[in-house]
Amino acid sequence: MSEQAIDHSHDHSGVSGRTPYEGLRIIEIATEPGGEDVGQMMVLMGADVVKVEPPGGASGRFIGPFVGDEPDPENSLNFWFYNRGKQSIVLDLTTETDRDRLHVLLEGADVVITSTSAVESAALDLRAESLSERHPHLIVASVTAFGLTGPWADYKASELISLGAGGPLMSCGYDDHSIPPILPGGNQSAHTAAAFGHIGILLALLDRRRTGLGQVVDVSVHEAAAVTCELANPYWFYPRVNVQRQTCRHAQPTPTSPALFQCADGRYVYFALVLADTKPWHSLVSWLGEYGLEADLGDPEFAEVSHRQARFPHIQGVVEVFFLLMDANTAYHEGQARQLPIGILNAPEDLFDDEHLAARQFFVPVDVDGVGPVPFPGAPFRFSAFAAADPGPAPHLDENSLSVLSTTVSAAAPTTGGQ
Amino acid sequence: MTNPVSTRTPGRRTGPLTGVRVADFCWMGVGAVATRLLADFGAEVIKIEDRTRVDMPRRLPIYKGQGKALSYGEELSNPDPNMGGLFNNYSRNKLGVTINMRTPEGRELADRLITKSNVVTENFAPGVMERWGLTFARLQQLNPSIIYARMSGYGHTGPHTEYRSYGPVVQAVSGLSHISGLPGREPSGWGLSYMDNLAAYYNSAALLMAILHREETGEGTEIDVSAVEAGISLLGPVILDVKVNKRSTRRDDYPTGNRLEHPHAAPHGVYPCAGTDRWAAIAVLDQSEWDLLVDVLGSPDWVNDPMFCDQESRFAHQDELDTHISAWTLTRTPHEVMDVLQARGVRAAAVQTAEDLSEHDPQIAFRGTFFELDHPVIGPALFEGMPMQMSRTAPDNWRSAPLVAEDNDYVFGELLGLSADERGELLDKGVI
Repeated sequence: MSEQAIDHSHDHSGVSGRTPYEGLRIIEIATEPGGEDVGQMMVLMGADVVKVEPPGGASGRFIGPFVGDEPDPENSLNFWFYNRGKQSIVLDLTTETDRDRLHVLLEGADVVITSTSAVESAALDLRAESLSERHPHLIVASVTAFGLTGPWADYKASELISLGAGGPLMSCGYDDHSIPPILPGGNQSAHTAAAFGHIGILLALLDRRRTGLGQVVDVSVHEAAAVTCELANPYWFYPRVNVQRQTCRHAQPTPTSPALFQCADGRYVYFALVLADTKPWHSLVSWLGEYGLEADLGDPEFAEVSHRQARFPHIQGVVEVFFLLMDANTAYHEGQARQLPIGILNAPEDLFDDEHLAARQFFVPVDVDGVGPVPFPGAPFRFSAFAAADPGPAPHLDENSLSVLSTTVSAAAPTTGGQ
Repeated sequence: MTNPVSTRTPGRRTGPLTGVRVADFCWMGVGAVATRLLADFGAEVIKIEDRTRVDMPRRLPIYKGQGKALSYGEELSNPDPNMGGLFNNYSRNKLGVTINMRTPEGRELADRLITKSNVVTENFAPGVMERWGLTFARLQQLNPSIIYARMSGYGHTGPHTEYRSYGPVVQAVSGLSHISGLPGREPSGWGLSYMDNLAAYYNSAALLMAILHREETGEGTEIDVSAVEAGISLLGPVILDVKVNKRSTRRDDYPTGNRLEHPHAAPHGVYPCAGTDRWAAIAVLDQSEWDLLVDVLGSPDWVNDPMFCDQESRFAHQDELDTHISAWTLTRTPHEVMDVLQARGVRAAAVQTAEDLSEHDPQIAFRGTFFELDHPVIGPALFEGMPMQMSRTAPDNWRSAPLVAEDNDYVFGELLGLSADERGELLDKGVI
């Protein structure tokens, strides 16, 4: 991209300056992260999201970690992560009065995001199809464990269950198969489903521009995981083999060499030795040579791919020793300077000191009551025509009831026959 | 639902992206998966390849009917580029053309195609598009409302812009690998290029946002999505914990493997089942779920041990608890464990293989997540579809992936107006 940075803070050249989500009103009934993360991505790009919480607060407020490890529904970092910049109102959707209030809100909204299963939503008289029929302009985005239909629709899940049933878990773990598959961290089944929830809403918004009609978008966390196994499904669809998990590298039909190397400071780098390509091979050998650690790899016979491949374990051993003698950051930056695709295994706390992320102003400070500025990840999308929004912290419980309900009820009164 | 091979001629598409034409320079995983979404929903995605350097997924050894399964990295020396299963999976519903961008005529042809397109996409190493003169400013000259989506590991500004990456490198640098594993061991990270998928989904969303923006304002945009930044966005609450609570993730009890720290759940793990390397996952989040589990287990004596008397006690004694649970799962298949526990409302799953998903998963089958299309060389094959159902909008799965140069005549002839003679000349000169 030339010299113009697309960043969060500078002027944008767009004629309108507005983001495509500006003016969009989203009602979020979802309390599961798969639904909440959809609302979060849309807040980051300028949507107005009203979170409807049950009396006492959304379940995510009761999940840690908490600020100072003190359980407090206002101080759940889990809740903060998924609910930045949303407005909070409390409605008791088990009562008809509050369901009526919800329908008034939905009448003025563009999108509703739910994570309620088919059984639960039927009990509350809030089935996705019913919402869609009653509010034809509304996009009803549902993100549930298995989707709203099918033999497993009523099954219960969690992060571990979803990545297990969906397939990705079977590819993750260690070379030693007496150890079970190991769950990758960070609520990834929810995040995967949320990515599709966001895509589904965008497709529905485009369709609504042509037709004036909303629709139901029924996202299944299970299926989202099932289409996010990368090579595993094609290896079954085509040669009909199941891939086998290996430590921190691609699950494959047959074992491959380790790609994780420990460095002098105890940290790791990821580097998959690919011996078939000549250019990276020479880069590697000359790098080893600079430290006097190339052993015999500079010998002429190693110019032959077949010779290298026959000596893979030997080469792997030389590289292991090499990395053990330098710290991980040196390995990462020196390797990359030689165009070798080496990645340092950063810990989350390392990222705040990363010069590249700092130059891109990726983390954005959010002022949180009683805590001060907290750096949050910024929007993962950048556009030259418009900037991401700059949402504030997650709301206090019921912080916005007065403003949201009073303005919406009065604005919606004429179309609903009065309140 | 297999489409006959004879209907491979490009025609009118259906879906909300009808009328969107994409000059698609993407290759490998991220870009191909990102533009596949556009192709699925009606956009005319024209995949541009170089005959002398076809897309890598065409070469990866994922073939039907092959005697011995080869791993990624064990490519055949001269594979048929139309045989590759991964390419078929990634490039369905797209058109395929060949342009040699190292020739002036090739670059001129690309300019003409861009003029007739609304979107340009790429995920090359930084500098490649610039070398061909294809900066955003230049694309805007060709087409003032163009959308230019640039998908890269690190983004197109900043000191590490030129760093090389692919899925596992992105997962390492963004922190996703470090937070995954057993305490006291090396990270287990990811056994797949998770970020090739997730960065692709984020890129699809960014493209749709840009298309929506242009429909509303008439204005195009350049898009810069960094896979590393997308990966950091996916870390979850731990990214706040390390800052707000100044807690290090380089500590003895982190990461927590299959155990759940928030909330204190137990049992919560992956348990051995009957069969070789077969497993079931069980997650019990509170007392009421524990009561259901105990019921299914038949209320054995060991549950009365004081160390299992409440959720906190069970959480504190997970090693002992897991021994009992494993003894119960070991005599059952993963699906038996799932079915008997789920029937009583306990969160449980067979840890499914790809074979299970395709052959034994009634939910995937019911929802039609995988679907079949025919291919002239490969024959009928399964594809990973959309993990969602929309009540008014359906994917338009009209064709499997293009053969090399399959749509040169349609694109260069019908769309760009080159005569058969002109196309023949370009072919002879190695331009297309």
